[in-house]
Amino acid sequence: MCLLSRLKGLLQIRRLEREVDEELRSHIEMRTQDNIAAGMPPQEARYDAQRRFGSSTLAKEDMRAMDIVGWIDTIGQNLRYAWRMLRRSRGFALVAILTLALGIGANVAIFTVVHAVLLQPLPFPHSEQLVRVYDDLRANNTHDVGMSVPELWDLQDKSGVFQDISVAWPVDANLTGGEHPDRVEFLGTSTSYFTLLGVRAQLGRVYNVQDSRPGFTEGIAISDGFWRRMFGLDPSILGRQIRLDGDLYTIIGILPPEFHNPGRSLGSEVEVFAAAGFNAAPFPTPPQRASRYLPGAIARLKPGLTVAQAQARLDAFTAQLSREFPVEYPPAANWGVRLVPIQDDLVGKVRAELLVLFGAVGCVLLIGCVNLANLLLARAAHRQREIAVRQALGAGRTRLIWQLLTESILLATVSGLVALLILAWSKSSLLSLAPANMPRLNEVSLSSGVLLFAFFVSIATGIVFGLVPAFQMVRPNQVLNLREGSGGSGTSRRQMSISRTLVASEIALSLVLLIGAGLLLRSFGQLIEVQPGFDPHGVVIAKLWLAVPNDPAEDHYGTVEKRAAFHQEVVRRVRGIPGVQAAAIGSSTTLPMDGQRFRLRFTIESQAAASESTPVAEVGSVSPGYFGVLRAPLLRGRVFSDSDDSKSQPVVLVNDSLARKYWPSGDALGEHIRIGGPRRRDGTPAPWMTIVGVVGDIKSDGLDTATAPRIFLPLSQSPTYDAVVYLRTGMDASTLGDSVRQEVQSLDPSIPVFGVRTMDAVMKDYLAQRRFALELLGIFAGVALLLASIGIYGVMAYTFSRRTNEIGIRIAMGAQRRDILKIAIGEGLVIVTIGLAAGLLGSLVLTRFLQTMLFNVKPADPLTFLALSLLLAAVTMMAGFVPAHRASRVDPMIALRHE
Amino acid sequence: MAKPKSDVLQGTLALLILKTLEHGAMHGYGITLHIQRVSSDVLRVEEGSLYPALHRMEQDGWITAEWGTSENNRRARYYRLTATGRKQLAEEEKNWARLTEAVASVLQFAQ
Repeated sequence: MCLLSRLKGLLQIRRLEREVDEELRSHIEMRTQDNIAAGMPPQEARYDAQRRFGSSTLAKEDMRAMDIVGWIDTIGQNLRYAWRMLRRSRGFALVAILTLALGIGANVAIFTVVHAVLLQPLPFPHSEQLVRVYDDLRANNTHDVGMSVPELWDLQDKSGVFQDISVAWPVDANLTGGEHPDRVEFLGTSTSYFTLLGVRAQLGRVYNVQDSRPGFTEGIAISDGFWRRMFGLDPSILGRQIRLDGDLYTIIGILPPEFHNPGRSLGSEVEVFAAAGFNAAPFPTPPQRASRYLPGAIARLKPGLTVAQAQARLDAFTAQLSREFPVEYPPAANWGVRLVPIQDDLVGKVRAELLVLFGAVGCVLLIGCVNLANLLLARAAHRQREIAVRQALGAGRTRLIWQLLTESILLATVSGLVALLILAWSKSSLLSLAPANMPRLNEVSLSSGVLLFAFFVSIATGIVFGLVPAFQMVRPNQVLNLREGSGGSGTSRRQMSISRTLVASEIALSLVLLIGAGLLLRSFGQLIEVQPGFDPHGVVIAKLWLAVPNDPAEDHYGTVEKRAAFHQEVVRRVRGIPGVQAAAIGSSTTLPMDGQRFRLRFTIESQAAASESTPVAEVGSVSPGYFGVLRAPLLRGRVFSDSDDSKSQPVVLVNDSLARKYWPSGDALGEHIRIGGPRRRDGTPAPWMTIVGVVGDIKSDGLDTATAPRIFLPLSQSPTYDAVVYLRTGMDASTLGDSVRQEVQSLDPSIPVFGVRTMDAVMKDYLAQRRFALELLGIFAGVALLLASIGIYGVMAYTFSRRTNEIGIRIAMGAQRRDILKIAIGEGLVIVTIGLAAGLLGSLVLTRFLQTMLFNVKPADPLTFLALSLLLAAVTMMAGFVPAHRASRVDPMIALRHE
Repeated sequence: MAKPKSDVLQGTLALLILKTLEHGAMHGYGITLHIQRVSSDVLRVEEGSLYPALHRMEQDGWITAEWGTSENNRRARYYRLTATGRKQLAEEEKNWARLTEAVASVLQFAQ
């Protein structure tokens, strides 16, 4: 029937009803007239005409049913009836609502995260045009080597691919001028940054291209969080100046609270945004093409360009540039620029995890539905009478099935509402459980997409668990059930095999979840067993930042000697703090698991001619005590000593990976290498440095990644502005942090000490994401196991209670308890075996998707499969044993009388 | 409640109505009279099944209806075939012919 005409019918209900009435009346009139003309008396003429219609009500009802009015009417009736039925069996309804609310709630919760993190586009206009720009050296397979300023300009003006491109450089900055110095998360950008993202200030304005200057622009924008924290939401700070790294900046704008820089940060959310042209102090001038100190950029593609098209054009452009500047882009290195859509860049790593969790929680809900379906089937016996009567009165099969489905959908929808209420109420406490480094967590909310999902999941749940019982209950020819005290064993047998199939499917699903959790558990176990290459226990770290003012003349630490002296003095002083056993200091790239890396290419003197590709290594500077504090082993040679300073010979240490990679058969000791190009920034020739020692690999990039080649420079010869203090101590971090702060600020009161943590905490944060996924999946698997056990218990109990009669006969005919038990267990075994087989098959297929999350464990790991199958078999058999045992103990006299 | 009626008539009611309207518009009562008359009183369309059938056919788009005045100046609803309806009529006539042919073949064989 045409849907449109049905809808039209809805709108014109009353008019239609009047018309129909009028039409029927006119028909009756006409026949009455004809009857009178044929000779009938008027009264009889009218009766005859009316009689022919039978009940006009029936005819009208038939016609109404064809309109949507009929539909709505039926739905309304169904709902009212379903509501009455549910109120009658309150206990069952309560149990069902609780279980469903849990299941639906868990699903909605995970979906909320999936929706906010993976599905929702980033809150910027045309976010599909936004990309991250990385420089790669493709020959070495080295990624993200940094960008130089001339490259940035070329990409902007000549590549023809970008509307706008901006640097995005997270840095520490020291905020001075108050009582204490404070460390601030600072993002160095180009003036096009906010235009690129399409962001406007909530107060004041953001900088734009008009503000461009060779150095840093004077106007800065601050985040809402910083405004809150530092200035207590005082609007008069607009136009005020603050001193960052010794320079005065004017606050020209405050950004809206929902704005977050879509990228990496050093520690926390970016608090201060400043723009620079990178063509004046403090940046090296004139900008060198080979000097790759910009860590990367963010850009907006020209409209109409897809990322793939842009990448292709960019590849052609970089090839052309490489030809133009062969010195800076040696063909052997195969330099290229890579575009990554910004959403992938932010969330790519967690995508697999989230999807796995989403699938898992869906499985749990499914298992819950199966249990409910079985429960409904068991209760079906009580309602057979009612349904038989209704069928005898003429209710169509479809109508009855819809009625039953309405009941289950109503149940599920109510559960869904309860779930939503619980989620809304506990939203903040749930969010605090998530690992902190999950991107976009701040965007998680009960948005309309989530509510829609909750609605559909509820309806789907209702249909899933209600369908089989509905079809089972409404079968043709139920007249038998109208008889008093009917056992109806014929129908129950089919019902029981359906129940058994359902339980077998539950067992299969549980096995899949268990195996998934088991694999993750093994993987996690493998991960934490990996030797990190150092001893994190009892190490406390604290971070420092020496300010970099824009005018080099004002830089207190402008020379190598001054910085080296400062570092040495800090180490000396903190070593004297009571409770500190050893102290060292290093650049921030030396902090394991912290994510900051600084890669440079280097040349090996003895292999210079032969080197096909440019060797690249991660570089850091350390004080002599570093390896001692971290307890990283020295394999050959020596570590730095105090005699290695700016006047003595340039020396380096390399890690084992580098030594083995470039001197596989020989010894790296004594070899000479040169970092960077043949000339330093100031034009003097770069020195050859001697390798004086080889140290063991420290797994700084992660326990599951191979250690990259590393070069360590002595901090006294290559002192950095960023520093991390390492202390080996038994004291707790916060008190020690205060002491370190005191010591440092007695040396220089303008330097903040921040990021004080134990190394154990750093390691824990690194593992936090994996641990979270593991815990969740473990919980789901556990719940699934519990539900499956309840399922099999329920079905077995029900089966045997129905067959009490039969068991009584068997016992009376001479069967032993043992034999009954054997039959019972045998049946249970069949269900479990089928379930396990299906589960194993399913696991083989599905665990492939876990591949990216596994470390050192194969997705088809036989040990895990076997162990968990046995576990599941044991638990379910035990669950099934109890009713079996009870069945075997039945008193034959009672059983025979049971119906 | 299942309505006891001759199966044949139910299936062919639509066909009869369509054919009746082939050559002009008619109101419900007129359709009943026409079928009764032309079939020499063999086929009596009950009002209880006529109007539901007309309603269904209207929703399916085979006929349209509009109010008009009858012979004795009474307001009545006149039904008329649509283009779809004409196609449907041709289709049903073909099916009917096939059906009767088939039944006839079986009857002949039985002899």
